[in-house]
Amino acid sequence: MEERDIQKELENKAKRKELLMNILPFAGLILITVFFIIVTKGRILRVDNLANLVNSMFTITLASCGAVFVYAHGGLDFSIGSTSGLAQFICIFMIMKLGLPVPLGILGAVFIAMAACSIVGLASIKLHIHPFVASLCVKNITAGLLSVLTQKAGGQITLDYSRFKIFNSVWLKGMVLVVMVGLGFYLFERTKLGKIQKAIGGNSRTVEQAGISVRKYKMLAYMVLGFCVGIAAFFQMTRIGTVSSSSGSGLEFDIMIAMVLGGFPMSGGSAAKFRQFVLGGITMTILTNGLTMWGLDVSYVSLVKGLLLIVLVSVSYDRSIMKQVSIISL
Amino acid sequence: MKEAQVFLSAKDICKAFGPTRALVDVNIEIARGEVHGLIGENGSGKSTFSSIAAGAQTKDSGDFYIDGELYSPKNMTDAQNHGVSMIVQEMGTIPTISVASNIFAGRLEEFTKFGIVNFKEINRRANEILQQIGAADIKAETMTYRLNFEDRKIVEIARAMVCDPQLLIVDETTTALAHKGRTILYRLIEKMKEENKCVIFISHDLDELMSVCNVVTVLRDGHIIDTLFGEDITLQSMRRLMVGRDMADNYFRSDYEGSYSDEVVLEADNVTYGIVEKLNLQLHRGEILGLGGLSACGMHELGYILFGIAKTLTGKVVNRITGKEITSPIVATANKMAYISKERDKEGIILNATIRDNITVPSFDLLSGPMGFISTKNEEKLAEEQIKVMSIKCRNSRQRVSELSGGNKQKVVFAKWLARDCDVFILDCPTRGIDIGVKAAMYQLIYELKKQGKGVIMISEELPELIGMSDRIVLMKDGKITKEIARDKSVTEQTVIDYII
Repeated sequence: MEERDIQKELENKAKRKELLMNILPFAGLILITVFFIIVTKGRILRVDNLANLVNSMFTITLASCGAVFVYAHGGLDFSIGSTSGLAQFICIFMIMKLGLPVPLGILGAVFIAMAACSIVGLASIKLHIHPFVASLCVKNITAGLLSVLTQKAGGQITLDYSRFKIFNSVWLKGMVLVVMVGLGFYLFERTKLGKIQKAIGGNSRTVEQAGISVRKYKMLAYMVLGFCVGIAAFFQMTRIGTVSSSSGSGLEFDIMIAMVLGGFPMSGGSAAKFRQFVLGGITMTILTNGLTMWGLDVSYVSLVKGLLLIVLVSVSYDRSIMKQVSIISL
Repeated sequence: MKEAQVFLSAKDICKAFGPTRALVDVNIEIARGEVHGLIGENGSGKSTFSSIAAGAQTKDSGDFYIDGELYSPKNMTDAQNHGVSMIVQEMGTIPTISVASNIFAGRLEEFTKFGIVNFKEINRRANEILQQIGAADIKAETMTYRLNFEDRKIVEIARAMVCDPQLLIVDETTTALAHKGRTILYRLIEKMKEENKCVIFISHDLDELMSVCNVVTVLRDGHIIDTLFGEDITLQSMRRLMVGRDMADNYFRSDYEGSYSDEVVLEADNVTYGIVEKLNLQLHRGEILGLGGLSACGMHELGYILFGIAKTLTGKVVNRITGKEITSPIVATANKMAYISKERDKEGIILNATIRDNITVPSFDLLSGPMGFISTKNEEKLAEEQIKVMSIKCRNSRQRVSELSGGNKQKVVFAKWLARDCDVFILDCPTRGIDIGVKAAMYQLIYELKKQGKGVIMISEELPELIGMSDRIVLMKDGKITKEIARDKSVTEQTVIDYII
């Protein structure tokens, strides 16, 4: 009788821990939101700021929808910032300089981004270069191309805003966001495209021996990432209205922060969940926005963000994954 | 019986991993001059107990006493200083440092003066220890990665002997050792016994336990079931206590008729990879084909070739049912073939994933509906079905595989292939490192597959199971087939062994 009680208690404890791990990212988001509502006296919820929030959430969330596939199988891509910049340039060049219709411009951006991400994928899959190194190379290539091309084009190209009003409407962006997040969730959690990514992150040899082409699915993940980065690039371009050599930079780090904040496992695998990435992106956006609204000097924002990140990670990160019996612990 | 002097005694030791109770109020006394065997199925708690005693893990409650004094090791080095030392199951060595540094890992401060490590002294001491245990051919200065697998294991043994331990814990070390290492280890155990020190010996090999131990304690589900002394240590009694019921006599299949259809289902034609050279092999419908030999004879490589994991340099592998050439695991699975790897944790399963996610991996194509939709409900159904069929011991299909015992992990590996309807099974060491209860179930399953008309290749290093299960045994040595033996009552290990050594 007593024995059964102990067993039950242990099981409940395990359940509580799992629940806590699942809830923490949500709780963090709510906590941060409530905090900023209080300190900004509700200004953060004003309509103009909400629009602002959707705008700044847009890029990171869209990119997250693709990045989740790559990071789940244990890959990564450090080049998406510069790639986004290059895609923005190609898009604005096609529309403004070549006078091509807007849909073609979007296609151009998506094509460039998918090509760049595919190179990272190919290099890591075919040439067995670690994706970190491969994407650093591609980052340099795309960043270099962007700066050469902007120079050749005579510096910045500016967009004719009047033609792009519709793409800056919060409603359209909100809709695109909902569709992409929905689609991403479906593909990642309910089809084999996503399920296989998680399985590869867990043990790629098992997946290989189960008769699944690991290379093909890794490649597909990079292409999905490229697609999402391309779409995000187009909207970023229409919002800022100009492309320079520094366009898009920093996106790769934002992605990593979103991943950590959302509790997404660093090496991918079966614990990876779609909502973790998206949640992380939203949390980060509110954090940045809130700090600015609070009146914190812009130059301090990233300092505070860094500190907060350490605190949040130390609370939510499952350290048991890293704990392995090693000779060092002797 | 003379009153033996107790060295280590454990009082009410408890330990839980998450919701799994590994040890429940365990009381054991280890006396001097004792070689104390710990047996039990996987997950019964024997490794947990010994690693707590050796300071590699912490206990939840209970106390240890050494010579009557309270003993609670902070870490493995601390335990060593108290005279308790362990040769660990699968910790391994660090390949990029020298043998001596591996032996004295964690103890380098003792050789450090003013921040400078005296490697000369470390090497001298290491060589001394290697000599003592009878492995003088391994030199302390050598970089560890230059050693072969066997010698690295011996380095681990040497590491355990650093502090002249009073209690040596041997945790399934012999499974990984061949002749040389075993000789060294047995000699060491004998010496410890003579010097009135003690040994805790953990092994799956009951015959080995019988010959080495003078006391055996049986654990089941974290409880101590019984302790056997001297003459009472018999195969029967140990098996009964481990499993909790009398093992049936037909451990293997009971018939002695090697029967199979003439129809060839899988054919290797002149294949070459690694040590395997220009080899031919045919598997028939309804046949259990045993592939035997020493670990390095090429049979594991042959398994890789047959499933297309390794690409053959000459000739080809053909699935005769479909007529397709097997060039990759993708083609193999598409042609209704299944493969179970010898390296269960490294290749067979996704440790951190749930049972459900492991079972569904090869079946995603069957589960996908319109638009590629995979319903969680169907996944759950498939997994629950297989858990029932294989009677996998678990809480539910969402439990992580890493929490399961070795035998149940292996059942998960089987289950994922049974969920597909396969014609050909290539099983590489299907009963490696699993306990006899599950082993018996596996043999029954393999026999069942045969009766259903499947072709089964069973690669194994264990001669008894090869002889006990196969319709036909193909023996290999140095990458070549040396002998083919048909199923017969008269086949013994002796008839087989000459062809593989």
